[in-house]
Amino acid sequence: MAETDGATASVEPLSTPSTDATSVSATAKPPPETQESIWLRRSVIVSFWLVVVLLGLPVWWKTTAIYRAELPLETMGAWAESKVCQPAFPLKVAVEAPIPAQDAQHLLRDTQHSLDELNDFSAHRLSLLLADAPFVANASQQIVTDGIAVDVSHDEDIALSVRLVPVETGHTPRSLLQPYSPRLDVYYGPSQLPTAASTGSPLATYIAEELHKLFGEEQALLAHLLSKTPGPRAPVAKRLSSGIIAELEHRSTRALKYAPTYHLTFSLFTPINIPSDWDIESALQRYMSPFLDSLTGIHNFTIDTQVQLYSGYTPTVRPEFDEQSKSWTLRKEDLSGFINAAEWPLTPSIGAGPTVNFVLYVPDRSQSPLVVKETGGNSWLVPQWGGVVILNPTEADEAAPAIMTREALAPAMHTFSTQLMSLLGLPQSPGCLPLRISTLVRVRAASLLFSASSTLGALARLYNALPSIPIPDKVAKSVDLTTEHLQLACDSLKEGRFHSALEHARVAEAEAEKAFFERSMVGQVYFPDEHKVAVYLPLLGPVAVPLIMAALKELQTTIRNFKARRSS
Amino acid sequence: MAIDRQKALIFGAAVAVRLLLFTTFPSLPNLLAGRVEVSTPVTSFKRLQEGLFLYKHNVSPYDGGVYYQAPLLLPLFSLLPDPSYFPFASNVLYTAVDSLGAYALMQIADSMQAVTPRLFKSSRKDLRWSSVAVAAGYLFNPFTVATCVARSTSALSTLFILVAIAKASQGAGITFVFALSIASYLSMHPILLFPPLLLLCYDVRASKAKSAPSASRFAVSHTAGLAAACGLLLYLSYLLTGSWEFLQSTYGVRLLLPDLTPNVGLWWYFFIEMFDSFREFFLGVFWLHVASYAPGLTLRLRKQPLFAAATLTGIFAIFTPYPSIADAALYLSLLPLFRHLFPLMRYSFLAAAAILYASFLGPAFYHLWIYAGSGNANFFYAITLVWSLGLSVIVGDSLYAALRDEFDVERPELRGKEVKRI
Repeated sequence: MAETDGATASVEPLSTPSTDATSVSATAKPPPETQESIWLRRSVIVSFWLVVVLLGLPVWWKTTAIYRAELPLETMGAWAESKVCQPAFPLKVAVEAPIPAQDAQHLLRDTQHSLDELNDFSAHRLSLLLADAPFVANASQQIVTDGIAVDVSHDEDIALSVRLVPVETGHTPRSLLQPYSPRLDVYYGPSQLPTAASTGSPLATYIAEELHKLFGEEQALLAHLLSKTPGPRAPVAKRLSSGIIAELEHRSTRALKYAPTYHLTFSLFTPINIPSDWDIESALQRYMSPFLDSLTGIHNFTIDTQVQLYSGYTPTVRPEFDEQSKSWTLRKEDLSGFINAAEWPLTPSIGAGPTVNFVLYVPDRSQSPLVVKETGGNSWLVPQWGGVVILNPTEADEAAPAIMTREALAPAMHTFSTQLMSLLGLPQSPGCLPLRISTLVRVRAASLLFSASSTLGALARLYNALPSIPIPDKVAKSVDLTTEHLQLACDSLKEGRFHSALEHARVAEAEAEKAFFERSMVGQVYFPDEHKVAVYLPLLGPVAVPLIMAALKELQTTIRNFKARRSS
Repeated sequence: MAIDRQKALIFGAAVAVRLLLFTTFPSLPNLLAGRVEVSTPVTSFKRLQEGLFLYKHNVSPYDGGVYYQAPLLLPLFSLLPDPSYFPFASNVLYTAVDSLGAYALMQIADSMQAVTPRLFKSSRKDLRWSSVAVAAGYLFNPFTVATCVARSTSALSTLFILVAIAKASQGAGITFVFALSIASYLSMHPILLFPPLLLLCYDVRASKAKSAPSASRFAVSHTAGLAAACGLLLYLSYLLTGSWEFLQSTYGVRLLLPDLTPNVGLWWYFFIEMFDSFREFFLGVFWLHVASYAPGLTLRLRKQPLFAAATLTGIFAIFTPYPSIADAALYLSLLPLFRHLFPLMRYSFLAAAAILYASFLGPAFYHLWIYAGSGNANFFYAITLVWSLGLSVIVGDSLYAALRDEFDVERPELRGKEVKRI
């Protein structure tokens, strides 16, 4: 290297021969260096060291420093331990009563009282409101609306409206839950209205019990969710029997992870060449769209379909012929292997969201009807993946239609929508779809809230556990956004605005995931400090050795000279 | 007037050779312009044409991410007719650049600063080549010719470095500072030549004048002049392009090495293999390594500032991020000024063999890697290592020879004896 020459070269004679005129003695001893050359050498060494110290060290410090953005660790930990937010689910139930306001108020108070007595889950509370009763507005009675009365039709945060209908005949009180609108009709006899003097009328108790029953499953779901998160929530959560917990666990393992968008894939498989087409578009339009539309607030869906001819199920699955029922039967163990993963083109995922697969299998006529042995059913659900329906050709159409009509697809479509409900985690009761969907909104909002909080906690632990990973500003920004939206979601929950709570919780969850899975953070996780020796040494070693040796030698001579001068 | 006849002959022959090459092999310039040994991303003529096209169409020349050269080259080359249709004008320009460089080299040789600087009289001062011979060594060096034919813009930097050295060795302070600032403006690293050349200029001025001028005033005024000239050039560039973003695309590229096109230097391979998180650190280390030679050599060779400057150009040819054979050509043309050191050099054969070996096998190995596909990057990198080794041997050996020469003056009685370093 030229450097060593430049830095330390000072040329001295080899052992001088005795014939040399200048040599004083025969022993080889270099003549003393001139003062000038000593200073020259020192200044050269100092100049190299100055470059190293004044420029090299700052460069080293600057370029190898790991940038760690400040994270609000306290807040993140508090969220993860659920100290910040005690989620509450105050549900509004509107009551329409064709009776004078005074009486209605009285009834409301009684009902509320018995409801509160029934309820053992303080985070989830039903509160009754008196609504306008439009259907009696033109009656002779004058309705006095006071401050509590609300306009039911314009408030989507009203969970349920209860309509009181006076009837003369039949068993009273009785109730009817509308299947496609969130309304409970309660029929009562005139004598069952509470009087001003009495407390606790049978009608009030009846309504309270009905309401409690309706929201029983939702309470169980939420309580189960709350019990799984850490933090001081024990008194809030209500006790659930182990049977219910097992059932809820089972259901939650079946359901898909929450995603804003799902891709639905409908596939028709047949081992032969018929049916070669299906009227899927109009069938979806007719049987699927109404259900999907009602879910728009929670999920978006994209749909694609395919027809695959000559694609049999997995060859190792062999159905047996059952003489009794004259049908081919699949054993329960076969169902898991039925899907021919090797040959059926079922893509695992298209785009960002997860894919839900729905398989319609039309067996060969020689092997039909094909049913499940144990239950005699023809459909099953694959947890977190999708559903399968075997559609046996009916005996009637001997002509074997090449095209499946919309009507022929109807039963399969009904099964598919039921399977989709389970896959989305929709509760199974009550028998009113809007109510179940609004339950889903609350459950999803709460679970997203908890999962975003626990992601924050995990990020905070990661931050502390791995001091060598860089934390870019992006992560800090995402964390700030997450906590902000978590707070908004929590506030919305407490105020009973569940749709906006879901919206905020969704943003919080997305940001938390983005912060946790930031790519540039993990680059150096598997790069231990020992490896840095291997990085630095090969280049810096050869450069450093002459520098250090020269400096040491100079120091040594200086000290020796100093000592010699002091001793003399 | 034998000297003048010789001069005319040499220059005439050099111009003729260049123009002949341009006209008889019209595809040669483009072939050479595409060779990685001759054209680096920061000097390539093809990239210059791309920048020129954007500039002529009123688009920022740095938008395409192709052009990394100084902005002031653009108006200069836009004066010339389009080189793809009328290459003659640019051919003449590059030929003239080479001839002017040779003329500057002659001035350096004539100034005798190589053998007899102010503070030091070499004991072998009679052993020297004539200025014409030195100029011929520059003009007919195949590396210089290849650079000229490839129309690489490093020919311009070489010219301005040579002019700066020539003016410094004549004691012409203002032109020296201006030429050096243009060279630094074009390719940044020549700024490191300032300390030795400043000393050279000072020595010449001191020996010419009756009393030496004040050293500190001399240094301060010339440093300020350099800063002002560089600032002026940068400001002109700013006016030309309308923003300061050219800094990022010119000096930023040289400092941060975003373009890892192979070249004859040592950086590209190293930074391809580099862990991303250490990239900045090693960029700093490599640049400091280059820069750290300047003060050390200047101090050690205080008595021979011209030799210190020449050695620094050799170090640039080895250790800068985008070296090409043009940098080696500059160093190898400055070396004949020190003919008196040649007898003291011990590894001339080894160095010459390594340089020749690398010059012939380099293109072959590059072909094997890129075109034939039967080799890989290590083939070419190995040959660039040999090339750099050859140059380092010359640098180290000549440095040894210069120090030995100094020692001989100090202790004349030991002349010709075996020595060793202790």
